[in-house]
Amino acid sequence: MNKLHGEIKVNGYDILKKPKKAKKEIGYMPEGVPLYTDLTVKEFVTYMAEIKQVDRKIRKEKVEKIIEQTGLKEVGKKLVKNLSRGYKQRVSMAGALVGDPKILILDEPTVGLDPKQITEIRNLIKELGKTHTVILSSHILSEVSQICNKVIIINKGKIVAIDTPENLERKVASNNSVYVTVEDPENKIKAITQNIGDIKKIELIEENEDGTKQYVIEAKGEVDLRKIIFAEFAKENITIFEMKKADSTLEDAFMKLIEGGNK
Amino acid sequence: MWAVIKKEFKSYFYSPIGYVFIGLFLIMFSIFFYTDVFTYQSTNFEYIFYSGATILTFIVPILTMRTMAEERKTGTEQLLLTSPLSITKVILGKFIAATLIVVITLLCTFMYYAILCFFGTPHLTTALVTMLGFLLLAMAYISFGIFASSITENQIIAGVVTIGFFILTWFLPQFSDIFTNFSLINMFSKFPAGQIDIADTVTFIAFTVACLLLTVIFMQRRKSVR
Repeated sequence: MNKLHGEIKVNGYDILKKPKKAKKEIGYMPEGVPLYTDLTVKEFVTYMAEIKQVDRKIRKEKVEKIIEQTGLKEVGKKLVKNLSRGYKQRVSMAGALVGDPKILILDEPTVGLDPKQITEIRNLIKELGKTHTVILSSHILSEVSQICNKVIIINKGKIVAIDTPENLERKVASNNSVYVTVEDPENKIKAITQNIGDIKKIELIEENEDGTKQYVIEAKGEVDLRKIIFAEFAKENITIFEMKKADSTLEDAFMKLIEGGNK
Repeated sequence: MWAVIKKEFKSYFYSPIGYVFIGLFLIMFSIFFYTDVFTYQSTNFEYIFYSGATILTFIVPILTMRTMAEERKTGTEQLLLTSPLSITKVILGKFIAATLIVVITLLCTFMYYAILCFFGTPHLTTALVTMLGFLLLAMAYISFGIFASSITENQIIAGVVTIGFFILTWFLPQFSDIFTNFSLINMFSKFPAGQIDIADTVTFIAFTVACLLLTVIFMQRRKSVR
């Protein structure tokens, strides 16, 4: 929590001048979910409440509420070390939540979970996002674009981009292209596409076993090719099996920004 | 801080460590009790503590080696460092919890006092003074153990460093008289005579405080480097 340059303010409290107050605003869920494994779930959450100096009068009630909220009620009396990974993750989350921090910092909260647990944790995070500021650090970008409404990409300690996931995806949508899978036994497609003015480039991606071929067709400018392709191919009796507009994901945005930063 | 004391104290008994410590001490103490009392036919309770002090050398590391090292290894120290609790309070809490275990052990030794009362009249004040000295020695040992535990994330290394240091201070006076005043166990030797030596008492307390302070400084430094 210390620093080399500049200042860190948490909800207006300087972390060096008022560390106690600043730390009270934060709930931190570390990576790899470190827990006191020889305590029971309830004891652990109570201990976290104690070291976070939750008022003694309301402590018990708060602990109960958080255990309920994170879905830990049925394992409350079990030792933390006997829990599954998914439950441990929840216990760690409960530990972060205790003491009503305004800011939640979650470091890789869904690593090592099975798909069902992942969805559960994500839903929990979304739920928490309504009442808390959630800072989520993750390498799973599909998760980020699903949950977050603001993304900060950091490369080698420098902020490369701050934006909404949608904006970031749009920014890198460089070429406007369409993926089509067609049945074209006479191989007319190249000739046809050369006659359509809006098409810049056509490229064969793969020939499938059933005789269909997949192409990527790049357009000039901002025209939506799908309409034109549909109409033209139908005229020539080329059957379209599948057609998809290439959309960029947060992964693409990430790669592009990181590469740009490294040059 | 109370929360840390409570949790650490409970942890000693959730794991075998607390039982092992108290058990080992009492077994060794019983053996010394038997040899001292029966060979010398004396009812001097406090003399057993001369030997008792040497037991501490080997069993205090059991108590302290995991205190900081385990937290660091499992990453739970992050929970403590990000909580509003200051490092000083965390370390003090752990120190007090370990000291409480020693206090319990000391209370257990009263049964030997009771046995002696049966056969003679052991001196209560001397016994209490000895126990005070013993506690001071234990506190000094524990504080060093905690410091050793904070410099590594490996419990075994922490334990070995602690035992090594204790043995070193124990045997150094045999090599040269210069070291007599540095030997913690030597300092204890005046207490069983029923004498509270101010200089020794102060040294014990100063050593304890110094070790705990070092631990705090060490933790704080590590935190800011990271």
